[in-house]
Amino acid sequence: MIDLVCPRMLSEEDDGSPAKCRERRRRRIDMRRLAALSTAGWLPQSALGPGGGRVESPCVSEAKRIRTSDRSCLPSSSSASSGDDAEALVAPTQPQPQPQPAVVAEATSVEWYGVMSVSGRSREMEDAVSVRTGLCRPELNQRRPVHFFAVFDGHGGHHVSRLCREMMHVFLEEELTRVREQRADEDDVWREVMRTSFQRMDELAMNTCACGSVGSQCGCHPMEVALGGSTAVAALLTPDRIVVANCGDSRAVLCRGGKAIPLSRDHKPDRPDELARIEAAGGRVIYVNGARVEGILAMSRAIETFGGSGDKYLKPVITSGPEITFTARQAEDDCLILASDGLWDVLSSELACEVAFECLREGGPPAMDLNSGPAAEDNGSHSLCPSRSVLAASLLTRLALGRKSWDNISVIVVDLKKS
Amino acid sequence: MDSQSTATATATAMQDRFGCCFRNWMAQQHRDLDELLRAVSTDSGDAEKLKCLAGKNIQHFRDYLEARSQLAQHDAPSFFCPSWRTSFENSFLWIGGCRPTMAIRLVYSISGSDLEARLAGGGTGGDDNSNSSSINLGEVSASQLRSINELHIKTVRMEEKLSSRMASMQEEIADDPLALIAKWSGRAGEESESVERVMKGHELSLARVLTEADELRLETLRELVEGILTPLQAVELLVEMTKLHLSIHEWGKRRDSVLGKV
Repeated sequence: MIDLVCPRMLSEEDDGSPAKCRERRRRRIDMRRLAALSTAGWLPQSALGPGGGRVESPCVSEAKRIRTSDRSCLPSSSSASSGDDAEALVAPTQPQPQPQPAVVAEATSVEWYGVMSVSGRSREMEDAVSVRTGLCRPELNQRRPVHFFAVFDGHGGHHVSRLCREMMHVFLEEELTRVREQRADEDDVWREVMRTSFQRMDELAMNTCACGSVGSQCGCHPMEVALGGSTAVAALLTPDRIVVANCGDSRAVLCRGGKAIPLSRDHKPDRPDELARIEAAGGRVIYVNGARVEGILAMSRAIETFGGSGDKYLKPVITSGPEITFTARQAEDDCLILASDGLWDVLSSELACEVAFECLREGGPPAMDLNSGPAAEDNGSHSLCPSRSVLAASLLTRLALGRKSWDNISVIVVDLKKS
Repeated sequence: MDSQSTATATATAMQDRFGCCFRNWMAQQHRDLDELLRAVSTDSGDAEKLKCLAGKNIQHFRDYLEARSQLAQHDAPSFFCPSWRTSFENSFLWIGGCRPTMAIRLVYSISGSDLEARLAGGGTGGDDNSNSSSINLGEVSASQLRSINELHIKTVRMEEKLSSRMASMQEEIADDPLALIAKWSGRAGEESESVERVMKGHELSLARVLTEADELRLETLRELVEGILTPLQAVELLVEMTKLHLSIHEWGKRRDSVLGKV
């Protein structure tokens, strides 16, 4: 449990040599230019079609199966921004909502966060992203809104990450709004909310076959779906704090005053404390193409499924228990970045923060006046100008693609100055 | 004797037509590349003209695929290991050509490297020229990135379907009827009418899968160029694709000649 986070200094920022200053200034200028041009390039793609013809139906139907068998009243997952609380669920393969009024609503409601999730150089899309602004207004938070952001990076298929995308916020909402007796330490309550939600998520994943059915009646061979799982990094954002729960090697980073502050620590099997935990639980870390638990899984914690009735031998070793951090928000907080390892493998937290920071701040307000690119002309709809945070998320994604990231890349950038 | 030499002559003529079709396509690409490069340097602000040019390039690709689809009706197997391509190219063929997702991968690698070059501060005055040729692909917008990702996921799925069909066809060789005909024949390679008929059937299956793969290649590129990218980005992608294709052919030729294959 790491309840305290120590701000880490950016070594580069300490270096005030003229050459470094020049480089930073030029980068800022470049960033401004990039941001401005990207704005100009924004257009609702004709290829998307008004019907959103390419919405991937399997994941929706898969979710439906779970919903009907387990929950009766899930919020709709296929339309992104209807309702007063501007609920938006961003699926990697789902285009933005299509009906006109919804789009307009979203243009105003989502401007403080941006999401990008791409398959990238991987042929399988196993990442999933979930965003619920205004998830609920629990007593716990003095009836002020709690916003939810999460990135899930699946392994051994996409079924667990998609399940998390559909259900994690539901569990969190239930746990947040559950009436409890007063406790002295409010942090304990939040911690319990996170831990219980992760545990419920894990139990659901354990009991859900890759085919989508709950329980072990489906008859699928357990070995076929053994060791499917997902990382989960989830952030609850309130007006005065950020609570982050993490299991696996996705990561949350806070950009404060342009500097990177880690809000989670990656669960790698060779992390000394994790190694000790694994060995105490009777597991081993074997180096096969990097450190892996039993030579299989390259992370030490995850939400895992073992095929319903399948083998659970790794269960005590690969725990879904999250590490939780609490961070009091400060005036100089710039943004929150949540991303899968497709980004972090090729970009340091520091550089990611620097890029996001420059993109959000130096660019100023979305550059409407620069809408002179070729793309803007055949469009004409200026209301769809993307927010700075959308630009930041896509800029980070493209940077990771440029650095030959081999994995799926999912990035959420939350603009804390605007939230 | 006579009929055999006629058959040989026909086969040679056929191979010539195949080779000719390919050589025409390569020559066409050389001409297209010149035109594309000219357009990038002189008409980069004329979206209509660029759009037109990109469309023309797609049409040339379509023409080539149609021509070879016709030829494949006579001899599809030749397109799976074409003698007119180099062995380096042939070893990377996917159903007679490049993978449809290659176009998307190329967008990723070019746009990413352009962005990196500018962020990493490599952009001192002298570097600007080397980057200017594809500077616009570095500016793929958020919505374009989403569309490209969707196209990617869709294309991968279609590729997998075709790959899996190809796998079945390859495995069928060890199945009834060819395997049993071989088993019951007096000596290895004994001719029979049924063998010819079965082989013809396999060839036609190959022709069908080739045509479908070509359609996917064309459709993926067309959607990128006409549906997602801006005209300037599209022209730049076509430049890079054509350059890559022509380069690999030339590099393959050099390699073959070094190994004494030609």
